[in-house]
Amino acid sequence: MRALNLHLKILITLLVGLGAIVTGYQMFVLNIPLTEHEVDNLWNIDAKIEFQAKNNEPVKLQMFAPPSEQNHVILNESFISNNYGVSINKLDNNRRITWSARRASGKQTLYYRLVASSRYNVEEGKAKGPVYRESIAVAGVEKIAAEALLASIRQNSADVETFVTEAIKKVNSENDDNAKLLLKGDNSSAKKAEVVELVLSIAHVPIQRMHTIRLESSSNQEPELWLRSFNGKKWLYFNPQTGEQGMPKDRLVWWFGDEPAFNLEGGLNPQISFSINKNEINAMRLAQLSSDASSHFLDYSLYALPFAEQQNYHIMLMIPVGVLIILILRNIGGLQTLGTFTPVLIALAFRETQLIFGIVLFTLITTLGLSLRSYLEHLKLQMLPRLSVVLTFVVILFACISLFSHKLGLERGLSVTLFPMVILTMTIERLSITWEERGGNNAFKVAIGTLFAASLAYFLMSSAQLSYFIFTFPGTLLIMTGFMLAMGRYRGYRLTELFRFKAFLKD
Amino acid sequence: MLGLIKTWRELEAKGIMGINRRNADYVLKYNKRSLYPLVDDKILTKERAIAAGINVPQMYGIIETEKGISQLHKIIEGHKDFVIKPAQGAGGDGIIVIADRFEGRYKTVSGKLMSQDEIEHQVSNILTGLYSLGGARDRALIEYRVTPDPIFKSISYEGVPDIRIIVLMGYPIMAMLRLPTRQSGGKANLHQGAIGVGVDLATGITLKGTWLNDKISKHPDTENPVDGVQLPHWQNFMELAASCYELCGLGYIGVDMVLDQELGPLILELNARPGLNIQIANNAGLTHRAHAIEEHLQQLKLTGTQESPQQRIALVQSLFDTNHEL
Repeated sequence: MRALNLHLKILITLLVGLGAIVTGYQMFVLNIPLTEHEVDNLWNIDAKIEFQAKNNEPVKLQMFAPPSEQNHVILNESFISNNYGVSINKLDNNRRITWSARRASGKQTLYYRLVASSRYNVEEGKAKGPVYRESIAVAGVEKIAAEALLASIRQNSADVETFVTEAIKKVNSENDDNAKLLLKGDNSSAKKAEVVELVLSIAHVPIQRMHTIRLESSSNQEPELWLRSFNGKKWLYFNPQTGEQGMPKDRLVWWFGDEPAFNLEGGLNPQISFSINKNEINAMRLAQLSSDASSHFLDYSLYALPFAEQQNYHIMLMIPVGVLIILILRNIGGLQTLGTFTPVLIALAFRETQLIFGIVLFTLITTLGLSLRSYLEHLKLQMLPRLSVVLTFVVILFACISLFSHKLGLERGLSVTLFPMVILTMTIERLSITWEERGGNNAFKVAIGTLFAASLAYFLMSSAQLSYFIFTFPGTLLIMTGFMLAMGRYRGYRLTELFRFKAFLKD
Repeated sequence: MLGLIKTWRELEAKGIMGINRRNADYVLKYNKRSLYPLVDDKILTKERAIAAGINVPQMYGIIETEKGISQLHKIIEGHKDFVIKPAQGAGGDGIIVIADRFEGRYKTVSGKLMSQDEIEHQVSNILTGLYSLGGARDRALIEYRVTPDPIFKSISYEGVPDIRIIVLMGYPIMAMLRLPTRQSGGKANLHQGAIGVGVDLATGITLKGTWLNDKISKHPDTENPVDGVQLPHWQNFMELAASCYELCGLGYIGVDMVLDQELGPLILELNARPGLNIQIANNAGLTHRAHAIEEHLQQLKLTGTQESPQQRIALVQSLFDTNHEL
C-alpha cells in the first residue's frame, strides 16, 4: 500500500510538473496571450515624401526603412508609388528603399507604409560592435575645450556606460563653459550628438547615431536622435538631450548612422513626414501572423490543425473539465447523479440547445419517456425491445417538438434534432431503474442532481475563456489529470455525509 | 462553513467512515474484483456455502433455460411453501414468496393467488434478465422459505428481519438487525425505509436504531422499543459471518443472515459494498474498529500466525464490547 502511494505521488508530481513546465514555458517564454481577447497594439506608420520633380529628368530617391532585427516585428510593408520602380536592399544594419523613375514632372508624393507590433519574445542574439575608434581631428580652442571636458568626465566615470552618460550630462550642462563653446549656441540634438561624439572620440569610445520613431498616434513626427555605444558585451542606448540611458519600449529604430533619412537625385524641395496611428489586433492572431518562435511553436500546437478540426477540439478538450466538475461534485460534494458521465453528455447536449431550453426539453422528454417506460413495465417486455420502444418514442417526440415549434415560429425547437437522443433514452432507462430500486423520491433527487451537475458543467464547458485557455495551453490537461489521480485516493468525507451523519453529534 | 469544519472534525474524532474512505481503504484494498461474481450471484454464493458446510436456506432447484421451466413443477413437488428469486437480482425485485397451495393454485404471502402459468411466466421474466442489473440473462433460484423467529414479532412489520454483520478479513466488526416497516413494504432494505438496529457484538443484545439517517428507539409501526432484545443463537451468527471470509475470499463484506424458526441462523447473501448506516444504528464509527483489526493483522503477520474463526470472534468480542466502550 505504501509503495502504491509513493508510486502515485511520483506520478502526480510528474504530471503536474510537466504540465506546469509546458504551460509556464508557453506563458512566460513564448508570451502566448492568456486570454483570447487580449489585444496588442498594431502600429501603422506612414512615411510620406513629397518633392518637386525637375522637368522630365530621371529621379532616384533613397530612403532608409526600419531594420527587421529589433524589438518590434514588422508584419507588413507596402509602397504607394505610381510609375516608380522599388527595390529594398540591406546596408550594414540598415535597410534602404530605392525608388526610381526614368522621368517625372510636377509634384511627386511617395508613401511607404509599415505595420509593426511589439515582438513576443526578444531573442538576445550575440551583439557585435566596435570598441575602438580613431580620434576626430580637432584644433585650437575647441581642442582645449574638448580635452578639458574629457578630463572632468573621466573623473566622474567608471566604465563605458557611466562615461557616455557623464559626457551627455556635461554637454547638456547649462553652466559648463567648455560645452557652451563647443555647441556654439546650437542646442539641437544633432549638434549635441556631434559634440558628444567628438569628446568621446578623443577617449577612443565609438558611438553610433540612431534615428527612432516614437510609437504613439501622431502626424508629422520628426525622427528622434539617439546614440548607442557598444561596451564589449551589449549595446547601450542614450538620449543625447537628457542623458537617459536605455531605450524605451515605444521606440522603433528607423535607421542607424550619420546619413540623413533619405537622399534625392533629380528633385527639389524634398520633405519627409511620418504619421503614426494605432490599431488593435487580437493577440493570438498576431502571434500567428508574426514569424518568430512563438509562431513556430504554434505550428506544432492544435492551432496547426484545419479550422473545422480546431472547432471540434475546442469542444472535446472541454470534456475533461466537465468530467472534473462531476468528479468534484460527486466525490467531494456527495451529489448524487445518474451514472458518472451522463451529466457531461447532457451538458454537451445543452451546447446545442442553450441552457434554459435544454433543461425544459430534458425535463419534458424524460417525464414523458418515464411514463411510457412505466406503462411498458406492465407489459413485461425484455430489455432490448423495451429500450428500442423508448428510443423510437423519443425520436417521435423530437419530431413533434420540432414540428410544433416550427409552426409556432420558434427556431429554437429545430436544434432539438441535434440533441443526442441516445443520451436521453439511456437517461430515461436508468432513471426508471433507480425509481424502481430506490423509490420515486430518490429518482427525483438523482434527476435534479444530474441536471444541476450538467448545468454547472455546461457553464464551465461553454466558457469561451476557459475553452481558449485549454486549447492554447493543453499542458493544463496534465495538471488536471494529476488532480484526478489525487482524487482517486481521497478519503475525506463528502459534503453530504456531514449532514447524513449529523445524528452522531446530537448527544 | 465553520460549522461544517467542526462537524467534519467531530465525525473524524468519532471514527465515522465515509464513502470515499470505505471505497479507497477497504473495498478497493481488500475486495478483489474477480471475486465479485461470487457474491453478486446468489446461486454461486449458495453453492460455495453448501460445499463449505455453512447453513443456508435449502436450495430446491435452479432453472437456467426456458426449456427448464417445464421442470418447475418437479422442483416444487412436495414443498408447500417456497421462494423463487433471480440469482442476480437487486433490491428484492422479482422475488415470489409462496406461502401455501390452494386448490391447484399458489398463494403468496400477501394472499394473492397465482396459477401455475403465472408463476412460469414470472420465471421466464427472470431468465430474460428483467430483474438483473444491466439486463443480462439470469437464472432463477427456487429455495426454502424462511419463517422468521417469533422473537421479532413485536419489533417488525411483515417481511423477514435480517441481521447484517460487517466482516473485515474474517473479523466481524459491526452488526445490525434490520427490521422491515410499513414504509419499506416488508423489505429489510434501509434505503426503502427499514429500520437498522445496532447489535452488541459481545452479547447479541440490540442497541438503539436508525431510521432514514435518524436515531430512533422504537419501531414506528409496533411502537415497541427496539433496544435490549437478546438475539438468540448470537454466537452462531458470529461464527457464520466470520467464516464467510474463507468462503468468498473478499476482505470487506456485509454478511446478511436470517433467523429461521426451525433451522436457526442462515446466510442469505453477501454484499461487497456494505452501506454505512450501520454506524448510526450502532452509534459508533467503523474506522476505529477497522484500524484496530488492521493493527492486529499487522502483528499477526509479524509472528506469521493465522487465527481461526473462533479466535477472531473472541478477539472482536473483547475489543468491541459496547458496555466497556461507552
